Amino acid sequence: MNKKLYILFVVGFFCTAFYGSKFGFLDFPEHFPIVVYNLEKNPLTQEKINLGRALFYDPILSKDGTISCASCHSPYNGFAHTDHELSHGINDQIGTRNAPPLFNLAWQKSFNWDGAINHLDMQALAPLNDAREMGETTDSVIVKLQNSALYPSLFMAAFRDSIVTGQHFLQALAAFELTLISANAKYDKVKKGTEEFTIQEFNGYDLFQKNCNSCHTEPLFSSYELANNGLPIDTTLNDYGKGQITGVKADSLLFKIPSLRNLKFTHPYMHDGRFKRLNEVLNHYTKGIQHNKTLSEKFKNPIVLSSNEKTDLIAFLLTLNDSEFVFNPDNKYPRDILSNAK
Amino acid sequence: MKQFFLFTFLFFTYSICAQQGISQVKFNVTVDEKPLELGKSYELLENEDSITFDVLRFYISDLQFIHNEEVVNKSKKKHILIDLEKPESLQIAINEYAGNFDKIRFTFGIDSLTNVSGAMGGDLDPTNGMYWTWQSGYINFKLEGRAKKCPARKNEFTFHLGGYQAPNLVAQQVELNINKAEKGFEITLPIDKLLSQINLTDTYRIMSPNHEAVEMSHLISSMFLVENL
Repeated sequence: MNKKLYILFVVGFFCTAFYGSKFGFLDFPEHFPIVVYNLEKNPLTQEKINLGRALFYDPILSKDGTISCASCHSPYNGFAHTDHELSHGINDQIGTRNAPPLFNLAWQKSFNWDGAINHLDMQALAPLNDAREMGETTDSVIVKLQNSALYPSLFMAAFRDSIVTGQHFLQALAAFELTLISANAKYDKVKKGTEEFTIQEFNGYDLFQKNCNSCHTEPLFSSYELANNGLPIDTTLNDYGKGQITGVKADSLLFKIPSLRNLKFTHPYMHDGRFKRLNEVLNHYTKGIQHNKTLSEKFKNPIVLSSNEKTDLIAFLLTLNDSEFVFNPDNKYPRDILSNAK
Repeated sequence: MKQFFLFTFLFFTYSICAQQGISQVKFNVTVDEKPLELGKSYELLENEDSITFDVLRFYISDLQFIHNEEVVNKSKKKHILIDLEKPESLQIAINEYAGNFDKIRFTFGIDSLTNVSGAMGGDLDPTNGMYWTWQSGYINFKLEGRAKKCPARKNEFTFHLGGYQAPNLVAQQVELNINKAEKGFEITLPIDKLLSQINLTDTYRIMSPNHEAVEMSHLISSMFLVENL
């Protein structure tokens, strides 16, 4: 009898241990593909996510303590920087690119507009060390975190080690970012069968599948590959995307294909934020494509859309707005953690 | 009497060696066949220049002992950061080994798979100053210093060699034949030999994965020597 109780206790213990571990925090949508991120190397726990969330919202990461990740990746903007063509950094500096929105990162294989970052863990190093963004050095941030009143105990809770390391710092940030999942837009509800498209949205969906889906592949609404979408070069920036990183001609003007989810919250559009409205984006695809050597083959046949069709297409694109994600309180500034420390 | 002590001492040393085998491999970095001192100004005759080395760090991976083309022993850590500022990093711990071997094999740098595997700790922690931030990837070899003939600002030369994607695969495999009958061995990188093959007046800055980085990495990997003690 005692033995049975003991076994029951042990089984119960393991059940509670596993309940709410990686599957509890990451609610993988059933209609999404398999994740790219290797969760076995960085298993998610609530403590790690809490730490990552605090780091994400804490301006301690920037050189002068004025800029946090959330400064340019605001939760209310789908973690992008609404109304800013190019994002801001310390000392009122302006960068060269539009801050991309952050969601569904577990499904992405490269990061930054030029795809120069090969893993979510390593992405934060780029803005952190960029002189125009956070202007810091990784080593200095580690020292600041170690010497703070708040962080050693948060690292202890997350990693059973109060010594702050670069690895743990980056893994915690990634852990929080992995929880930013947008999968509750009207489109998703239609897929689950709990809502229906209007006729206009349905027509737009049809047009989307014919004209856009090969690059902005559903259900993530991006293949997350890099491509040249025929934007003329902005000579004030001379940004050649991936080509700038690799120095390879075939990579010139390749930029990462963004998701079409949450467009309502993430304007302006394109890597340099040149288009304020979706209409301008559609006009680019129907009559603005600039043909050059690296232009994506997907534009071999021109995209033709009547103005009614454009309206229908936009109606469909608006079904990809996910207010539940954008206003999810779990993703917001962690007042309870950060204000207690001040 | 003297001879007796000497004999006893030699026997004692021999028996320790025989019992314990080898438990570390020592690396040396030399200038003029003497251990490199960071911050010291060297008059290098071949270069006709005075040169100071300020930073030298590099990665060694998968250090293996080979016998008849089979791996018989390896280093305890897969990736090892050698940093001239930390003399202890030049001693690489291996699993204790007393058997035969005829070759040492290692990778000079970090393999491609490790480069795409996310944040890692210890020698691979990105705070070691050996990871790029504007793009992903480890810096396999970092050499910074000053040379009078170098036309860059403050006469500084900067070589950050890395790259894990074709065609700029910078990591190189090194194989060194070795005669185990000797008392022991050390692996030496004569860094002055590298500079004697570079013209610092026009090659003084490599800081991204490119053809030059591959070439220089290839050159360095051919310079490792085994020195018997």
